[in-house]
Amino acid sequence: MQPSNVATVYKKELLETLRDRRTLISSILVPMLLFPVLILGISVLATLIVSRARKDNPTVMVLGSENAPELSRRLEKEKDMEVVPPAADYARRIDAKNLRAAVEFPAGVEQKARTVNTESQTVKIYWYEGEFRSEGVVRKIERVIREFNEETVKAALASRGFGPDFLKPFDVEQKNVASAERVTGNIVGMMLPYMVIILCLTGAMYPAIDLTAGEKERGTIETILASPVARSELVSGKFLLVLTVSLGTAALSLASFAITILGGATLLARISSKLVLAVSVKAMVAVFLLILPVAVLFAAALMAIALIARSYREAQTYLAPLMFVVIIPAVFSMMPGIELTPKLAMIPILNVSLVAKELFAGLYPWNYILLIFGSTAVYAGIAIYFAIRQFQREEVLFRT
Amino acid sequence: MIESRQLTKVFRDKKRGDIRAVDGVSFRAEPGKIYGLLGANGAGKTTTLRMLATILKPSAGTAVVAGHDVVAAPEKVRKNVGFLSTATALYARLTAREMVEYFGRLNGLDEATLKERVDEIFRRLEMNEFRDGKCDKLSTGMKQKVSIARTLVHDPPVMIFDEPTLGLDVMTARTIVQFIKECRTRGKTVIFSTHVMSEVEKLCDTIGIIHGGRLLAEGTLQSLQERYSEKDMEEIFVKVVGA
Repeated sequence: MQPSNVATVYKKELLETLRDRRTLISSILVPMLLFPVLILGISVLATLIVSRARKDNPTVMVLGSENAPELSRRLEKEKDMEVVPPAADYARRIDAKNLRAAVEFPAGVEQKARTVNTESQTVKIYWYEGEFRSEGVVRKIERVIREFNEETVKAALASRGFGPDFLKPFDVEQKNVASAERVTGNIVGMMLPYMVIILCLTGAMYPAIDLTAGEKERGTIETILASPVARSELVSGKFLLVLTVSLGTAALSLASFAITILGGATLLARISSKLVLAVSVKAMVAVFLLILPVAVLFAAALMAIALIARSYREAQTYLAPLMFVVIIPAVFSMMPGIELTPKLAMIPILNVSLVAKELFAGLYPWNYILLIFGSTAVYAGIAIYFAIRQFQREEVLFRT
Repeated sequence: MIESRQLTKVFRDKKRGDIRAVDGVSFRAEPGKIYGLLGANGAGKTTTLRMLATILKPSAGTAVVAGHDVVAAPEKVRKNVGFLSTATALYARLTAREMVEYFGRLNGLDEATLKERVDEIFRRLEMNEFRDGKCDKLSTGMKQKVSIARTLVHDPPVMIFDEPTLGLDVMTARTIVQFIKECRTRGKTVIFSTHVMSEVEKLCDTIGIIHGGRLLAEGTLQSLQERYSEKDMEEIFVKVVGA
């Protein structure tokens, strides 16, 4: 095999690929925009929804206000909420979203609450389950009622000589001791490798088809086979191009993710001040190195399978199910309680997702890292061998 | 020189079983002469030429092309062959110049020789006005010229053409025929396949009639006319194939 021939094939494929609009969109534009659009878009959207909800004055109906004059007064005074006159068709109006909630006070509820009573009483709140604004208003109503209840209980205890803490012997407080890196690590480690692996696959898919089934469809396969280039040189040049695009997609995705996190940190901090973003560059590089053999595996496997097809359409039909083969282990790795074990370390894609969680949390389990890299490299080698064999089979190359 | 020795190709079909597309074909094509392989569709012309060009491997027999065995040294054969067929399309996103240069490099030409060769070919074939045009934007005639340039760039001693004028208009077909004649004048060994009788009559020094994968008759136009007592190539063909 002559490296100069491999280089010639590679350069020509690269030139053609860079001139192809579809590859530029799927392999460059999409990974660059995906993370910023997703992350910033969601946070901007969330901010917009919250501020819009605040502006919109939700309406509430009080039924039986004569049974709870103090509570009714407090509800009328509540900000960002408007109490409307009672009506019999409250259920229909809630359903039609003209009314956000209705609270029903049974007869003598306030009076009975202030005295010692053995009768149980129920205040009913009618609302639209799952509807954002209805939920907001219900929370306000519940808070008002809860405050009234607490005051009533305090007063009742005081009148009998008990302090306010009588019913609450001690307080409970949650304190996080895991470092910010560990906390973020778990979150980032769960999401990031999964997305990068998917992007590696989708980035490689189009060039893999274009360079195999695409050549058949465009009628250039006989042209190149009549030239002195050896089949192994041809496969190698094409494979390297698909790998370049796959890794390029992964690198661009990681870079755009990093830039989005750094740039959008303030925006995200507004939504959750507890979330301190500390993404380790060392972990990102380590994850990228682990994804390398995965990308090799994808490039070779996609090419070997796409070569069987006679056209783009047929190749897409064969390759589409591969998305599920990749998504399933990636999603599995995100499930709670799934941790890295020697057995799981041998399953490709799943193993990288699992070890990435550890890497982003600042842990470097070297034995697992080497095992994962090694096993994936073996699978990748098998896929390359299979791809070369495919290119030597006449019935595959000239399948009509 | 092309020397085919009992060249055979068997394809395995799931439904129809074994198909002998080429069955023990032997012939010789000399330098400075044009050998025409004449046959109907499915006769075995394309398969024979693909085996000579080492695109397909023979199931049995062999051939020696430009001094190299197609089975033992296929890459050496390909360095000495220029192959053109209706199925040898161009790379759409490359320019005419890039297309020819690509094949020049794969044939081992260094950059200086390559530039010289490309300039000379483009000038001779009057291709300079579209040298930087992308191949998918060229007209059929221009595309044919680029294909010819691609086969010529490494100046091979053997030229193999598979139905080179199929689907072409009169003017473009004439360009191809002119080019084939030029190859002969330059001392190259030329073999081409066709089912157009007039081409055979006009161009070929030796004619081989192939049918059902077998070479049924061979000779100069004159010798075939005498043997089958017919002047018209079509009548000769029908007689040979009918028998």
